[in-house]
Amino acid sequence: MINLFRLVIGSICLIALPGLVFSQNATITGIIKDVSGVPVTGASIVIKSTSRGTTSDAEGKFKLTVPANASLVISSTGFTTQVVAAGGGSAQLHIRLEEDITHLDEVVVTGMTTGIKRRNLANAVSTISSKELDGVAPAQTFDAALEGKIPGAYINANSGAPGGGISVKLRGVTSVYGTTQPLYVLDGVFVDNTSTSAGLNAVTAAASGGAPTSNQDNPSSRIADLRAEDIESIEILKGASAAAIYGSRAAAGVIVITTKKGKEGRTKISVSQDLGFIKARKLLGVRQFTGDRAASLSSDSATSAALRQEFLTAQSTGKIYDYEKEMYGNTGFARNTVLSISGGTAKTGVYFSAAQKDEGGIIKNTGYRNSSLRLNVDHRITDNIKIGLSTNYINSSADRALTGNDNAGVSLGIALSSTPSFAQLHPDANGNYPSNPFASSNPLQTIALMKNNESVNRFITGINLEALLQKNDISATKLIARGGFDFYNLQTTALFPAALQFQAVNKGTSIEGFTSNLNTNYILSLVNTLTPSDKLSLTTSAGLTGETGDYNNLLNVATQLISGQSNVDQAGALNATQLRTKYQNDGIFIQEEANIIDAVTLTAGVRFDRSSNNGDVAKYYVYPKGGVSWNLTKMGILKEGFFNDFKLRAAYGQANNVPAYSSKFTALSISNITGNPGVLVNPQEGQANIKPERQAEFETGIDFSVLKGRLGFVLTYYNKTIDDFLMQSSLASSSGFTSEWVNAGDLRNRGVELGLTARPVQTRNVTWNTSVNFWFNRSLVTKLTIPSVPQGSFGYVLGSFQIQQGKSATQILGLDGTGGVSKLGDAEPSFQMNSYNEITFFSKLSLRFLLHWKKGGQNVNLTNLENDFGGTSADYDKVTNKLGVPDGVYRIMQVGTDAHEFVQNSSYLRLREIGLYYSFTRIPLSYVKGIRVGVSLNNYLTVTKYKAYDPEVSNFGTGFSTGVDVDPYPASKRADFHISFDF
Amino acid sequence: MRKNTAKYIGCLLCVLSLAGACKKDYGDLNNATVQAFTTNATEGELNNLVSGTESGMRNNLALYLDDVGIIGRELYHFSPSEPRYVTDLLGASGATLSNSNFYITNPWASRYQVVKNCNVLIQAATNSQLITPAQRSGYLGFARTIKAYQLLMNLNLTDSNGIRIDVTDPDNLGPFVSYPDGLTAISALLDSARTDLSGASIAFILAGFGNFNDAPGLTLVNRALAARVDVYRQNWASALTDLSQSFFGLHSDLSLGVFNVFGTGSGDQLNTFFIPQNQSGEVRIAHPSYASDIEAGDDRINKATLRASAASLDGLSGNRDVWVYTSSTAPVPIIRNEELILIYAEANIQQSDLSDAVIALNIIRTAHNLGAYSGAVTQAALLTEMLNQRRYSLYCEGHRWLDLRRYGLLNELPIDRPGDEVWTEFPLPVSEQP
Repeated sequence: MINLFRLVIGSICLIALPGLVFSQNATITGIIKDVSGVPVTGASIVIKSTSRGTTSDAEGKFKLTVPANASLVISSTGFTTQVVAAGGGSAQLHIRLEEDITHLDEVVVTGMTTGIKRRNLANAVSTISSKELDGVAPAQTFDAALEGKIPGAYINANSGAPGGGISVKLRGVTSVYGTTQPLYVLDGVFVDNTSTSAGLNAVTAAASGGAPTSNQDNPSSRIADLRAEDIESIEILKGASAAAIYGSRAAAGVIVITTKKGKEGRTKISVSQDLGFIKARKLLGVRQFTGDRAASLSSDSATSAALRQEFLTAQSTGKIYDYEKEMYGNTGFARNTVLSISGGTAKTGVYFSAAQKDEGGIIKNTGYRNSSLRLNVDHRITDNIKIGLSTNYINSSADRALTGNDNAGVSLGIALSSTPSFAQLHPDANGNYPSNPFASSNPLQTIALMKNNESVNRFITGINLEALLQKNDISATKLIARGGFDFYNLQTTALFPAALQFQAVNKGTSIEGFTSNLNTNYILSLVNTLTPSDKLSLTTSAGLTGETGDYNNLLNVATQLISGQSNVDQAGALNATQLRTKYQNDGIFIQEEANIIDAVTLTAGVRFDRSSNNGDVAKYYVYPKGGVSWNLTKMGILKEGFFNDFKLRAAYGQANNVPAYSSKFTALSISNITGNPGVLVNPQEGQANIKPERQAEFETGIDFSVLKGRLGFVLTYYNKTIDDFLMQSSLASSSGFTSEWVNAGDLRNRGVELGLTARPVQTRNVTWNTSVNFWFNRSLVTKLTIPSVPQGSFGYVLGSFQIQQGKSATQILGLDGTGGVSKLGDAEPSFQMNSYNEITFFSKLSLRFLLHWKKGGQNVNLTNLENDFGGTSADYDKVTNKLGVPDGVYRIMQVGTDAHEFVQNSSYLRLREIGLYYSFTRIPLSYVKGIRVGVSLNNYLTVTKYKAYDPEVSNFGTGFSTGVDVDPYPASKRADFHISFDF
Repeated sequence: MRKNTAKYIGCLLCVLSLAGACKKDYGDLNNATVQAFTTNATEGELNNLVSGTESGMRNNLALYLDDVGIIGRELYHFSPSEPRYVTDLLGASGATLSNSNFYITNPWASRYQVVKNCNVLIQAATNSQLITPAQRSGYLGFARTIKAYQLLMNLNLTDSNGIRIDVTDPDNLGPFVSYPDGLTAISALLDSARTDLSGASIAFILAGFGNFNDAPGLTLVNRALAARVDVYRQNWASALTDLSQSFFGLHSDLSLGVFNVFGTGSGDQLNTFFIPQNQSGEVRIAHPSYASDIEAGDDRINKATLRASAASLDGLSGNRDVWVYTSSTAPVPIIRNEELILIYAEANIQQSDLSDAVIALNIIRTAHNLGAYSGAVTQAALLTEMLNQRRYSLYCEGHRWLDLRRYGLLNELPIDRPGDEVWTEFPLPVSEQP
């Protein structure tokens, strides 16, 4: 403590010192504005080659004492950095900052606590600004708002169910059975993104074996709770070369989220209101029945005749219905209100927001509600000690219906698939629904009576302390302490009252899940910046990190319910399961960054990690990283002319993915019989020596901008290898085990990302900014030490994933029609492209849109097949096949011999978001500073040949096997009207 | 300043070493582990393994009954969400049995899971210092009997593809043995279990074994199973010997036996073969030949009750529900006296003691409201009659397909759709392929 005190005093003296030395100082003033004349608040003004400077105030003004002949470096997020001569006269400096469309001057995080300018960055780090995230056509949830926006990512919605559930895979699959999802870091807090099943398998039996949960229960991802409106920017560290410093959980990449902070100046109050509606993106249509077609539903002559009669009666009484439309044709109304207050003084900045949204779904009795409060406070305790607190409370609730795969005929899509249009499913005058003779359930009744709700209460709090321990003209040392916690309670409620057709045996099922989860993490770091001359700057950081997780899920399945009751004790039978996981990861890191003449940046670092999930809990695994970027224009090798900026870069890094919690143990699971407690060997064999999987990524690229920065290119190539990838190996099941976790082999992802930013039009009245990205990834299993078996789908008959040495990790194999098994597809897209555009007219009217093209990649589409089996597919009676039989019959005939029909191309071109906004700036009311109105469409237009609800689908959630399509909650589109007032 | 920085780094290193001291190993927070139970198990722990073994026998049992019953043309399983019951299992339009599909992988794995549990029980009982030698023998006798029974069920599915007998070491599994060798090994296992049980003391409680829950009782069950294996092996004389040491009784209750029982308690299971009558969608429908082939007056028609309306799927149709298991807690036999009487008949026919066989067959016929056997008293005719009685008496208990296969009569099974196939065996699951 005494040392700290000395250090602080010493630092203060040192800071005061220069003022004494430079006797010929002058005080200058200036004002900073953007191109359209709006003052830029919070811009940094630093005297070149020193660390002295100030920031601009609310009116863009600043005042600074400078030595003679000094140059000032003016920078601000979103603007190109400028260097101007300070002059020395008394005249006010007028500085006009140009918008930085290539983002070269943006500071990007490269360490746990350090960052450098994109201009000097060795990696291609993608950034999503607040406007891109939420300012075009806002999505329902945070995860959906990322779709189409991250070059190098394969983002895929699991279903259209309200409340989200989206898989984000950065630069290919990084694990087969380990986590494929990136780590989300929100203001320094590692945010949990677990998907917790509501226990629907107890009703759907989608996975056999009788467990109440399965990976086919379509839960949401917990990251969906976050509010996009609060987010200032997102940086995406796509692989180990950039993310290595995050260590234990960074193998699948890191998404670093920064929320809005209060800035010095006038307090701004903003109220915004969105109103909109949500409709199904696409419906498949239903089969048009005739007497003959109705009769053909059964091969039994008596039943056949009865069906014909049933149809004729329904037809004559006008009781033919489009049940698909009745089920999925609901229009959900959406509202979203956000109040935000932001402001501050020189010492304290405050950002507060309160928001609530409430949205309906395309299926009645489904929808999403999210209420959130956020308070971010930054305070400067002294000139040298800064503390920041960001707190967030979220309450969310999603009603998600019962969709997806099912083996009991109860999920909505499965029931619909065998229900013809002449079935009579509507309730009588007393509200009693008839039994559906064509399926195990009456889907209209299911929609009306069931409930599948996830509700969350969540607190996320981050604390950030920065203390300047020492500072002089060439050196500054900071202590940075960051940490926080993410705590939530999740309650899942799945209620199936006894009146439901499919509850004939169970007489009512109530499944109540209670989950509490606490994640904590901290980073303690010392950062020293040494600037021995204006040609060299060294940043050294070293520190400790720690993360803990404590997850506790209690799931009660009650059946034989007391009539009208849902509490789990009001039941004749009750089954309880509890799952707990706990981990602690510890890390140590040290990193050095050197910047030479602002043109060459060298980075090297190393991390030591251990985890309680590893087989050896005490062992530290070592993960190095390094990077170099070389700016040819800054160095003078390339004259600034055609090229404004030309940079070569390369980076390498390693990171790990810890094994799943339970992988070490051979458990004895509970298996009781008539009150006798029993234990049965768990089919997963424990692997006491399990190691983390190790990812090593090499990335290299060229970034350049031409035409005075109006055109910027970023070209990246990466090669990332995953060694010892974790797999649940299928064991010969005669061992009594069906699987064990093993470090099963190595795989590789290689890919290219090309990015272009441009301003094709810049006139007095019209500006058009655009960015175009193109990317693809190819994976290869380079080593596999265990036998290769089909996995992650429904076998070769329908198309299945299979890891094979020498093959793509995401290949889909299936029966090929000639008696063998061949590769029929690959989940990996051939390539993806996106384009974000913003066209501004008269600085007031802004048109923004985001296009996303996914080319190639196959799904296993079984939705259509289910409809064929039920004899209800819209194109059942078309004859386009070579055998001349109805297509529905033809497709059924393929089952068991040829799976080509079910492995389908899932390319799409999608207008993800489009929005038109108008800002009123001259408002007669003095207290209203601005009004913005806008309209937007989200996912409104999709061009695809894919034959089901949407090419984005995943019956198995966010894991490895994406793109399996079994009657999901159909995808939706939305239209919104926006209005916001600034006070 | 440099010095100070060094001090700070020094402090940091101190903190590091502190952090190094508190490494965490949380253990398994959710379950007991095999490792803990096999060290020095208490009686309570061994009893948990016994109950888990008995409980595990029910896993995928309904699917086993489906497999045997569907291929044996006893029933159709119509499932709106699972086409493979009517495609693969019946060989529709060129479909074959896949080695990666649920109908073989799941029941196969479940049986071997119980085998594993038996092996863990054997190891735990052997290592335990907390039980008497007689108690130990009881655990071993039970474990080996159940293990043999579970191996037999898998061999029933894979037939000439065989099974593995030695599966104690998961990293070093024994070889696959042929069908005859498999039966021999199962028979030997049952014999060694009988030896264990003689003089054993039973310290555990069983759920579905009724009065056969002590050492003599378990021996009776053990011999009943041995008799079943004997007829599969065509060891007719041994079958009669084993029957005599089992709970077989010509005049005992036909349903006397041991059962897989079900319950609604926590962690328990329901009989998932049960589907209420007249359901739509997910249904088990009796094969039409069950009713069309049945003798008039046979009360076993009540095992396939008439539906209010026929059910059909994919070119198959039927108007009777399978009504063998009439509630979600209806027990599924492991072995019962009705089968033993028919084994007695079969062994006698094969040994040309035709009159004893006729007596046994008539006991069955009379019990089901039929008149005495009036057909020819020849070996061939009586075999046909015996198989027919087995068909109706053991309907949907997992026998007919195996019986017709034993006698090379699978070609007698009806083909419902052109191109459908009657499979003789399941392929080995893909996970077993070298």
